[in-house]
Amino acid sequence: MQITINRNGENHGPYPLEQVREMLANGSMQPNDLAHYEGAADWVPLHQVPGVTGDVSPPVLKSTAPAPTATKESFTPTGEHEHEFRVECKPDFAYLTVQIPANQTLKVEASAMATMSTNMVMKTKMKGGLSRFLGGENLFINEFTAEGVPGEIGIAPGSPGDLEHCYLDGTKEIFLQSSAYVGSGMGVEVDSKWQGFKGFFSGEGLFLLRCTGHGDLWFNTYGAIIEIPVDGNYVVDTGHVVAFTGGLQYGVESVGGLKSLFLSGEGLVCRFSGQGKVWIQTRHPTAFAQWTFPFRPSKNN
Amino acid sequence: MQSTIEGAPAFAYINVDLEPGETVIAESDAMSSMAADLDMVAKFNGGFFGGLAKTFLGGESLFVNHFTNNTSSTRRVSLVQGTPGNTRQIDLNGNTFCLQPGAYIASTPEVNLGVKWAGFKSWFAKEGLFKLTVSGRGSVWYGAYGGLLEKEVDGEYIVDTSHLVAYEPQMQLKIQLAGGLFSSLAGGEGFVTRIEGKGKIIIQTRSISGLADWVNPRLW
Repeated sequence: MQITINRNGENHGPYPLEQVREMLANGSMQPNDLAHYEGAADWVPLHQVPGVTGDVSPPVLKSTAPAPTATKESFTPTGEHEHEFRVECKPDFAYLTVQIPANQTLKVEASAMATMSTNMVMKTKMKGGLSRFLGGENLFINEFTAEGVPGEIGIAPGSPGDLEHCYLDGTKEIFLQSSAYVGSGMGVEVDSKWQGFKGFFSGEGLFLLRCTGHGDLWFNTYGAIIEIPVDGNYVVDTGHVVAFTGGLQYGVESVGGLKSLFLSGEGLVCRFSGQGKVWIQTRHPTAFAQWTFPFRPSKNN
Repeated sequence: MQSTIEGAPAFAYINVDLEPGETVIAESDAMSSMAADLDMVAKFNGGFFGGLAKTFLGGESLFVNHFTNNTSSTRRVSLVQGTPGNTRQIDLNGNTFCLQPGAYIASTPEVNLGVKWAGFKSWFAKEGLFKLTVSGRGSVWYGAYGGLLEKEVDGEYIVDTSHLVAYEPQMQLKIQLAGGLFSSLAGGEGFVTRIEGKGKIIIQTRSISGLADWVNPRLW
């Protein structure tokens, strides 16, 4: 946009917009000088020309809120990892972005993809069959491949909460509560068929995935995430179990016998023993469901 | 006028301190608390027909509230969005920004709100036939469920339709399937938005459909 300035009856310019802003800033023009720009019907005071000024009139608000880069927590992984990734908006709405080298593939929980490069190609794989379906988990895992050139994918889990990364080095084994799965590298075996007796009888929320192999594994929580080193015995409500290391023995039991099971409201717990790590979430998904349930619009006949 | 965004990112709210004579305009329902001597007037959102257009086409409220400070000293009004999540501010300086339906919370009086045709494809992807534009000079506050991340796009980028919150007007939006037909439907990704051009987009890090998919299997 070219702007002509009229000062004391004399025309100056036309000048490009950038130059006008500079001259305004250094004082060689005044906001009330008359100006004419392309497409304008008449001469107007310079400060009314669109785009010329934001800080003369009208005043634009200065927000004291921190800049967006300061509010988001981001990091490049420091520990062992396979792919470059960062996690933002921790801990309330943790959001994972993974860089994928050319022609490599990442496994991602179905429906969790929020953004991606245009060269990412998606394939849907049926995973795990019935047990996974029963676990309240989506039946499908999507595979995203960066075709030809490197790409990136942004992943947004369904539940509000945090996200954690684990690197599997081939010797480790991680058991994951099935709805906590977010994504993994192709070298990670996600076995949901192994489920067994305990998984089925453990009550809601403890259908486990067995993750082994080499590569990255990400899982998410509802609420905040707490990592607990276990040496000896430790008891966790089944709804709060997110993941644990393979070396731990675990059993599902009621806290204090049958009577407590029905009366204490504590239901079933998972007792871990041995040495290892347990990750727990600070909120219980079923409790959220029960809290919202009475407020669902009901269908009347 | 001074403003701060607090409670971010989970339950962000906006404090606006109005100097004598200043006004802030907010969507109906957005006011959570205010000084008792601020004057509040409900007006059609851009005239009767403009308001109707924004309500039915842009997903905004029919009425907006004008909060004016007619006292002789500074007064505060607090404004909120309906959903849990983060709020952001854009300062417009003659430029335009596009908001997804429902994202708008409040603005200063010199900001113009408009609706623009977004196309049938957009409606097909459940994003509405129209999009909301804000232009002029001043500040606009908008928000969404989840955290809000700003991304610079240069070229092409794909965003799940339920995660796009705002974008610069020069960005071209195209709706497409996430993968092949089977993958897109079975894989739960459905439609995605392909964004082309050079400029800023704002995405939300959670979506209500994601929350629903997570909580629904637990309701019985």
